[in-house]
Amino acid sequence: MRALVIEDDVDLREQVIRFLSEDGFAVDSAADGDQGAYMAEEYPADVAVVDLGLPGTPGIDIIRRVRKAGRRYPILILTARDGWESKVEGLEAGADDYLVKPFHREELLARVRALLRRAGGWTSALLTSGPYVIDSGAKTVVCDGKPVELTSYEYRVLEYLLNQAGKVVSKLELTEHLYTEDEERDSNVIEVFIRRLRSKLDAENHYNPITTIRGAGYRWDLPRD
Amino acid sequence: MRARMLLSAALVLTAFGTLSGLALERAFQSGLQQAQQDKMQTLIYSLLGAASPGTDGELLISIDAVPDPRLRQPLSGLEAALFNEDGVIVWSSTDFLSLTQPSSPAVGDWQFERLNEPNAFSLAFGMRWIDASDDPRRYTVVVLEDAVAYDRQVGVFRRKLWGWLGTLLVGLTAILLLLTGWGLAPLRRLGRELQAVESGRQQQIAGRYPDELQPLARDLNTMIVSERNQLTRYRNALGDLAHSLKTPLAVLRGIETQSEQNRQIQEQVDRMRHIVDHQLRRAAAAGRRSLTEPVPVRPLAEKLTAALTKVYAGKAVVFDNLVGNAVRIRADQADLYELLGNLLDNAAKYGRHRVRVDVAEDASHCAIVVEDDGDGFPENAESLLQRGARADTRQPGQGLGLASVVEVVQAYGGRLLLERSALLGGARVIVTLPRH
Repeated sequence: MRALVIEDDVDLREQVIRFLSEDGFAVDSAADGDQGAYMAEEYPADVAVVDLGLPGTPGIDIIRRVRKAGRRYPILILTARDGWESKVEGLEAGADDYLVKPFHREELLARVRALLRRAGGWTSALLTSGPYVIDSGAKTVVCDGKPVELTSYEYRVLEYLLNQAGKVVSKLELTEHLYTEDEERDSNVIEVFIRRLRSKLDAENHYNPITTIRGAGYRWDLPRD
Repeated sequence: MRARMLLSAALVLTAFGTLSGLALERAFQSGLQQAQQDKMQTLIYSLLGAASPGTDGELLISIDAVPDPRLRQPLSGLEAALFNEDGVIVWSSTDFLSLTQPSSPAVGDWQFERLNEPNAFSLAFGMRWIDASDDPRRYTVVVLEDAVAYDRQVGVFRRKLWGWLGTLLVGLTAILLLLTGWGLAPLRRLGRELQAVESGRQQQIAGRYPDELQPLARDLNTMIVSERNQLTRYRNALGDLAHSLKTPLAVLRGIETQSEQNRQIQEQVDRMRHIVDHQLRRAAAAGRRSLTEPVPVRPLAEKLTAALTKVYAGKAVVFDNLVGNAVRIRADQADLYELLGNLLDNAAKYGRHRVRVDVAEDASHCAIVVEDDGDGFPENAESLLQRGARADTRQPGQGLGLASVVEVVQAYGGRLLLERSALLGGARVIVTLPRH
């Protein structure tokens, strides 16, 4: 999952980036409103954390521009002005939730996770698809009651495919949502992840959860409950 | 003000009218009496001219020689008599009214009197008759004239005088009434406009006023604008302060080490956050202001429930907004946002799927009622609310998520009630605010 953090305070920004990275996000960040607005409109993102009080383009305007551009990823606003008027304004502009400064790491992650679940159509932290039960909070996968050991990146690929279940996801799309702009990308790595995922999730070729669509990408084919 | 001006003017006018009336009456009366006295004096002189000693040496007046024929006519209202030294009548005209105590002025003196019984004027003249018979005798000549004619004259004058004066006073008062009405019209208009501004029907004082009032109207406008701006500026300044304080606090809070020191630091950070929150809320709650416009509550609640529906989308909370379209509360908009926002947020947080908001009004108060279908308040909720507040301890209502609500309610002199909702089974919060 790829997250965008727009926060002008350098220490707080680094902190939020660290919290999200440690939780398995690929994080892009901007230090001011203008850069943030550009990234929010142009970069692929699964979730954005936006401070309302920014130099340059105000947070509210960034959110409006993002929604006007048709981008639907969830946005969490950070605000120090805990007045309801500004919260309502932010939510009206298109944000999905707010977090008042200062906050705990757990609060931030819980909100971001909840937003992603909602966006992916998950009703709870547990998702069942065929024989698999995926716990998005603990980031664990169980197949037929037996735990499946996945690396962090493997889990991210699985989570993304699950979120887009039934839709074809290209290698490029997967790369974009797994890595930030600054990271080294190699689409061959995706093939490796998919191969490993298949062998770990379905060693006996019994369920075939991931279908390869030639020249287009991959698709999670099991129904979600 | 108008009544005051009218009353004082009427008092002055009445006093002036009465005094001048009395003075005029007095002057008229004394003039009339003087004329009366002169007339009677002339008569006495002519009587004396017609006097001559009789056979017994007493003085006699030949009635035929008297010029005024009324003396020769009974009941004419004019009589004369001549008293000797002992007060005995030696001569009198046709029928001299009996005088009980004829006054006898000194020789050569005049005595003019107004008698009550009979109602007449009397003029007496003391004299000594000296002639050839070397026997000077002392006499008093008295002339009486009926005062009915005089009274009638005075009466007519008095009626006319007071009639005219009264008409004059009424006329003057009416003119004064019109003048003050006209003169004070701009002030009344200004008052009406100020009221319109107060009740929110108007943004500014817009009308044109006379030169004397124009500066006042301008100053009032400046005051209205500055009161509104001041609040906004104040809030913005506080917002900036909050921003600059809370971001470093957020960083501090995010620092994680597993030591005992860290726990202490976190505690202190939490305390600092509470202090900042508390002071900000207290400062930001505008409270009652005379020039705030009444805020329509329904659209505000609508915005909040729309926003909260988004926030609590995971819980699928349904908000019932029963606030009437016409309901307006005279409070600062940001305060109302704070109040309703926190109440609705709490209800959505602690409720299961339903939240209900309504406003009940009577002549003096309006009550905001927010209900949910959660578990309701704990047993000691009321005592949590009552707990005294100090900046460095937990604020009342904090444990219930009601700290800002308490702050706003206090700023408006309202009341906060925690109950169980009969309708939804959960918590029911009633905030009562005075309407004026």
